[in-house]
Amino acid sequence: MDVPNLLKKLERVKAPPDFEQKILAQLSLRKRRKQRIKYLRPSLAGAFSAALVFFIVVNVFILPKKGTREVADLEKGLASPSIFQRGGGPRKGETIPIIEAVDYAGEIQSASREPQTIYILEQVSEGTSTKIKY
Amino acid sequence: MDEQELVRQIQDGDEMAFAEVVKIYKDKIVNFLCKLTGDYQKAVDLSQETFMRVYFKAHKYRPVAPLSSWIYAIASNLAKTEMKKMRKYTVISLDEVQSRVPIEAYRKNPPDSGLTRNLKKALDSLHPRYRIPVILKDIEGFSQEEIAQIMKRPVGTIKARINRGRNYLKIELEKASCVENSFTKKEEYQDGCA
Repeated sequence: MDVPNLLKKLERVKAPPDFEQKILAQLSLRKRRKQRIKYLRPSLAGAFSAALVFFIVVNVFILPKKGTREVADLEKGLASPSIFQRGGGPRKGETIPIIEAVDYAGEIQSASREPQTIYILEQVSEGTSTKIKY
Repeated sequence: MDEQELVRQIQDGDEMAFAEVVKIYKDKIVNFLCKLTGDYQKAVDLSQETFMRVYFKAHKYRPVAPLSSWIYAIASNLAKTEMKKMRKYTVISLDEVQSRVPIEAYRKNPPDSGLTRNLKKALDSLHPRYRIPVILKDIEGFSQEEIAQIMKRPVGTIKARINRGRNYLKIELEKASCVENSFTKKEEYQDGCA
C-alpha cells in the first residue's frame, strides 16, 4: 500500500469565502484592544506604585508602632502615658526608676496550708543602689 | 512582490501587505490544519489565529527561513496546543472502533470511499509527533530540511518520524481493510439467510 500517494490524493479543503474579511475585521478589533492595553498598563502600574508609596508613608511616618512591653507597662500603671506621646519618650541619658510592688505574704499563703513562714529577702550589699540606665 | 518585502511592510504595520500574505497562504494553512485536527471549523479558527500572530509577531521573523516555514511553524504550534487541550492524544483501540461503527455505515453510500475514510481515521489516530511531519511531507509537499526548520528538530529525527508515521498508517489501513472485509462477509451471510 503506497501511503504517500494515497495522502497526496486526499481531497484538499479551501478557506471559506469570507475568510479575509473576517481576519481584517478581527485585526482592527485586536489593534484597538492592544492600543487600550498600551495606555492602561502604565496607568495601572502608576496607580499601584502610588498606593504602595502611600501605604509605606502611612505605616512608617504617621502610625508609629508601640512596643508590646510598653503597652503592658501602661496597663499595669507603671509607665506614664506621656512616654507614648509623640516626642515624649525618654531622652538620651535620662534615667527612669522602676519600682515594682511584690506581695510575698499573699503568694506564700496561697502556695501551702502549713504555718506561715515569712522570708524576708534583703539585699546584702555595702554599695549604694544604682539606677538602671536606659 | 517578494515575500521578504511583504514581511518588511507588515512589520511597518501595512495591512495591505498582510492581506496579500493571507490571500497567498489561507487555503494552504486551512487545509494543513484541517488534516491535522480533523475538524474544518476548528481549522478555520486556528488559521485566523495563525494569521493574527503573523501580523502581531512579524517583528520576530528572521529572514533565515522562508516565510512559508515560519507561518507553518506558527500553525502547527497552535494546533499542537489545541490538540493537547482537546486530549486528542488518546489512541482508540481498533476493537473499540469496530464496536462503535454500525454496519449500516458501510452499507449505505458513504461520502468518501472506504480507503479515504480509513486513511483519515488512521491519520487522526496518529500521534501529532508523527502526524505533523507526515502531513507536511506527503500532503503539503515540503522537503525534509524545511520540515526540520518548521519543527525545530534535526533532519534525521524528521526522517525517522516520517517513516514511522507512514508505517503506522500502512498497518492501520491494512487492519481497517480486514475489518471491512469481515463486515462484507457478514452482510453476505445475513442476506443469504434471508
